[in-house]
Amino acid sequence: MLDPHNLPDEIRDLPDAGFELAQTGEIKDEVFHTKPIGFYRDALQRLRKSKASMVSFWIIVIIILLALIVPNITGYTYMEQDTSKKNLPPKIPGLESLGIADGSQILTNRRRDSLDNPDRFPEGSVIRIVREYELSGVPVVDVMVDYYTFVGVDDDVYHWMGTDYLGRDLCTRLFQGTRVSLLIAFFAVLIRIVIGVIYGAIAGYYGGKVDFAMIHFAEVMDGLPYVVVTILFMILLGAGMFSIILAMTVTGWIGTSRLIRAQFYRFKGREYVLAARTLGVTDRKLIFRHILPNTIGPLITKAMIEIPGAIFSEAFLAYIGLGIKPPNPSIGILLSNGQSVLLQYPYQTLFPAVLISVLMVAFNLFANGLRDALDPTRRGED
Amino acid sequence: MLKYILGRFGAMLLTLFLVMTLSFLIIRLMPMSLFENPEVDPVIQKLLEAEMHLDKPMVVQYYYFVKGIVTEGDFGRSVKIRPGMEVFKVLASKIRPTVLLNVLSLVIAIPLGIIAGTVAALRNNKLTDTIISFLVVIFISVPSFVFASLLQYAFTFLWPLFPTLYDPAAPNLAATLHSLAMPIIALALNPIATIARYLRGELIETMSSEYLLLARTKGLTRAQATVRHAFRNSLVPIFNAIIPLITAIMGGSMVVEKIFAVPGIGGQLIESILAGDHFLTVAGLIYYSAVSLATILIVDISYGLIDPRIRVGGTK
Repeated sequence: MLDPHNLPDEIRDLPDAGFELAQTGEIKDEVFHTKPIGFYRDALQRLRKSKASMVSFWIIVIIILLALIVPNITGYTYMEQDTSKKNLPPKIPGLESLGIADGSQILTNRRRDSLDNPDRFPEGSVIRIVREYELSGVPVVDVMVDYYTFVGVDDDVYHWMGTDYLGRDLCTRLFQGTRVSLLIAFFAVLIRIVIGVIYGAIAGYYGGKVDFAMIHFAEVMDGLPYVVVTILFMILLGAGMFSIILAMTVTGWIGTSRLIRAQFYRFKGREYVLAARTLGVTDRKLIFRHILPNTIGPLITKAMIEIPGAIFSEAFLAYIGLGIKPPNPSIGILLSNGQSVLLQYPYQTLFPAVLISVLMVAFNLFANGLRDALDPTRRGED
Repeated sequence: MLKYILGRFGAMLLTLFLVMTLSFLIIRLMPMSLFENPEVDPVIQKLLEAEMHLDKPMVVQYYYFVKGIVTEGDFGRSVKIRPGMEVFKVLASKIRPTVLLNVLSLVIAIPLGIIAGTVAALRNNKLTDTIISFLVVIFISVPSFVFASLLQYAFTFLWPLFPTLYDPAAPNLAATLHSLAMPIIALALNPIATIARYLRGELIETMSSEYLLLARTKGLTRAQATVRHAFRNSLVPIFNAIIPLITAIMGGSMVVEKIFAVPGIGGQLIESILAGDHFLTVAGLIYYSAVSLATILIVDISYGLIDPRIRVGGTK
């Protein structure tokens, strides 16, 4: 057996029976009535108390669930085209009797006499006449029609959010697109964080020349405007989900690396690090096991703050025509497609616009709440 | 101070050079020829390529490219969107609406943001503050292009108060501004909210400081103390917030320009990317980089003016 204390043999082999306790009295102590609360538990408690954060949290969860479930249950696929059902307005079972989302649409400038022509206006398609007037002597009308009957679609067909210019179901596409946008955002942020952590940890831990070189490289990279860099890399890599993620990470990791570097400078001089080093802990273990866990709080906050930014970037790239490959949808693609027919078919913009807005507000509020909860200076407040 | 500014200026030029090189490399590495028009006679095509040095190796092309820019300010010629026209002239013709749009949204945003932030701080935790804070969250979160769509639908279609698209033939500045109002508002909302949020936070923090207590003890009202004393100390963080704002406005203006058909540099850049008009794309990217770098430089230098305690360029 290896002896860690290097005691001489005669001392180590002394029989146990020769020892007796010097003191037998008990030292009394107060028993804790409350459980000790760790930092993260405390943070979680404070997070739970903030109403805005909890509401946003549940909104995010619901949107994620919808994105997972809805595309599978609508009965359509996101790429299924049917040109006989182009640009149908929204129609939702149950709500249609209330007059909203009943598949109706106002057609303008139709000849008055064409209303009686069953080839142009099939029976039962006309709901009511909105306006009657004359245009160069010909009586014309603005007429509200049941657009589904008007184009000859069966009565039991429902498109909750309508269809687009290729007759694709927009509800399926919207939630499929949410899936894609969220995936892009999560992965972009994840890769940024991983690169940023490794880069910042090495620079911050080793310091000196390594730090100098690394931090100056990062500064030069940071000088390149984000918009310009993403556009350039999208041109280089071509359309696609993977390209978007990469393009967003090219300079996206720099913020995280700065944060981590600063944290390493703060913690690497602490006594416990010195103790671990003295005991011969390797650099890698020191970086990842001993110092990095200190930075998890700010890191989580940073990640949450960056997610809405990444969703925005995706939509931005889609708008300027550098998004993912068609026929795949993303919130950005749907928005930019909808924007081009905004005045004719506003609902095609409405739903993605509402979804992206709700998503961004929820992520921002939740990130704010998380930042406050994980802020160590506020520990034990309220 | 002068040395510092020169140093910063040098660094800026270096970054610009880097952007130039990177864009040149990336765009030339693309597997597409500048001339893909099958109707052009191959002989003429060869001649054109020779004139633009496209038949030579990459390094030589790069040499001509840099030489053109540095010695003559010549960024090459557009080949697809405005064939034969000098890129510089194409961009110059587009600069007015872009600058109007970007500068005006910032000019509107700064005072409005400051007012909103100050009011929210003065009415801390009252109803006004809650309303402003709520609006701030909305305006910060919702992308500018969503607002652009909303404004376009509401105020140019439902209630036609403004023209749907930018009017390039507007007879005077007032008419131009009238047709630019919607894009300007769409772009200004986010900066207003960002400035308001920063300022509110800063002011509330300064309000509990001792010198403000002193100011109150001297008999100043809360509003007087805030505006005269706390305000100036809160300007530095606001300036920090303005740098990303300018880049954000420029990025957002690309999309907003497209939505309102503003014939600006952003729309031009998108068009040239999609059409594969390389020289035009490179020049557009250089323009964007130059503007954002220049603003960073200006903001950095002006720190010393706002807060004399910050010594710009000092060594610790």
